[in-house]
Amino acid sequence: MTMYTVTIANRDGAQYCVDARRPLLETLREQGVDLPFGCKYGGCITCAAKLQTGAIDQRRQVALNNRQIANGYVILCVARPTSDITLEIGVESHDKLYRNPFLDPLKPHELKADIATPKEG
Amino acid sequence: MDGQCCGPGFKSPQEAIKAPREKLLYTIAIYTGTGIQKPDYLATVDVDPDSSTYSQVIHRLEMPGIGDELHHMGWNACSSCHDDGSMSRKYLILPGVRSNNLHIVDTATDPRAPRLHKVIDGAEIKAKADLSGPHTVHCLGSEIIISFLGNAKGEAPGGYLHLDKEFNIVGRWETSMGDIKFGYDFWYQPRHNVMVSSEWAAPNTFMPGFDLEEVGHLKYGRELHFWDFEKREPVESFYLGEDGLLPLEVKFHHDPDSTHGFCGAALSTNVIHWWQDDAKKWRWEKIIDVENEMHPEWPIPLPGVMSAILISMDDKYLYLNNWLHGDMRQYDITDPHNPKLTGQVFMGGLLGKAPIVNDVEVAGGPQMFQLSLDGRRLYVTTSLFSTWDNQFYPEIREKGGVMVMIDCDPENGGMKINEDFIVDFGKEPNGPSRCHESRYPGGDCTSDIWL
Repeated sequence: MTMYTVTIANRDGAQYCVDARRPLLETLREQGVDLPFGCKYGGCITCAAKLQTGAIDQRRQVALNNRQIANGYVILCVARPTSDITLEIGVESHDKLYRNPFLDPLKPHELKADIATPKEG
Repeated sequence: MDGQCCGPGFKSPQEAIKAPREKLLYTIAIYTGTGIQKPDYLATVDVDPDSSTYSQVIHRLEMPGIGDELHHMGWNACSSCHDDGSMSRKYLILPGVRSNNLHIVDTATDPRAPRLHKVIDGAEIKAKADLSGPHTVHCLGSEIIISFLGNAKGEAPGGYLHLDKEFNIVGRWETSMGDIKFGYDFWYQPRHNVMVSSEWAAPNTFMPGFDLEEVGHLKYGRELHFWDFEKREPVESFYLGEDGLLPLEVKFHHDPDSTHGFCGAALSTNVIHWWQDDAKKWRWEKIIDVENEMHPEWPIPLPGVMSAILISMDDKYLYLNNWLHGDMRQYDITDPHNPKLTGQVFMGGLLGKAPIVNDVEVAGGPQMFQLSLDGRRLYVTTSLFSTWDNQFYPEIREKGGVMVMIDCDPENGGMKINEDFIVDFGKEPNGPSRCHESRYPGGDCTSDIWL
């Protein structure tokens, strides 16, 4: 079984050892980390956290647009680690998750993957 | 309160108007998406002015887990089974939009302290009916139909879940979704064998928040659908175009003989009216168009965002909200083709016209509302949906939602904020929560349908 270490930056650097094959929401909650969640299938953004270092596989998520992904957001209910990682969790990490769409429009390459157009240049 | 017969509800809308004044009100309050790791709950609010706890939350029924996002709710029975003595309006159904769970709450054993009767697990609904993203609950005679906005993967258009009166899953209610692209709200008028449904978006589109750009990519709805109610299939659709972006709440006249109905197009901030003409052909028109407003500091005009509408029990007034502008409006729709603005009040909103109401700082704007059966008291809450709140009104995280009461004049028109009533959900024991839809134990202006 491949295991990785998850460090929670905004919980005093607490560390947890998790199974690489299972979603982070499950493996962290099992070890007592209090995390928000909603749909549990990658569609609703409630469980979003910010990845500070390391890599994850979140191919199953359908909630994030490309700007949110570029800002480091990961959907914990479907994301699996592919290296040791450091996360910022909970609403403290949501500073760039929500934007006023009237004041701060997305560029075509920042839309969700299914409708985004490649970045020019 | 049930008039002459033995079943739930009232013999007619006229009988409903004469019902005793509401003393309790239920509203859902959410922690999902707020940063507070507590379950959403059903709050009981004391609305009896003679009570020592008037204008306070007197009971909180927590859901079993976190993350449901309670939103709309509905009764197990309404006036559509007024003739059925075996039925009673005992249970309130509280869907969790995100979790897919349906919570069945017993409000009759102790109306002040509702208790959880049963939970239909969201996973079971996905497995048996391939549905997620529950929204509107209506009773169907002695049974129940609930609109779901997505399939089990959160993709549009979803469909309708059919429950029996014991809350067992019967399966899908509809025979076909036809060419419908999205689901949302619905209302039916059995004497004309018609149901009308509206369109928001797929759960995977609206749940994470509102990307305005996705409207142009046709990820949000702009059509109304007319169903053959008995055959359970759509038969005609109206493309509303730019006048009907995000057609959300659907209301028929309460009068069961009427064919007139209304829908609020949220982003276009228009009211769409439909009716059947003398040749039995369905027609539609735009009857109210709320102009965009300039925000003092924004470079672009701001739409009102009309997320809800409501028709008074006497079918005389239509109420609507502009969640971003911050106003509630009352229109006289005696002539449904020519509505007349008869009342307007501000509470919150982004234009800064009423940041404080009854000494409470309002985060958010008028959003959901419920009218008393006699048409004199309108209870208004301020939160729309956790992720959308977080985009437009981020301060709601610290301030929570608010419930305001507006006194309405059903004889002459007019609205005024009641100065003696306000419920500040920013001061809840577990921290600021957000209140949304409200209902009364005896039935309300958005629940009952007459056969």
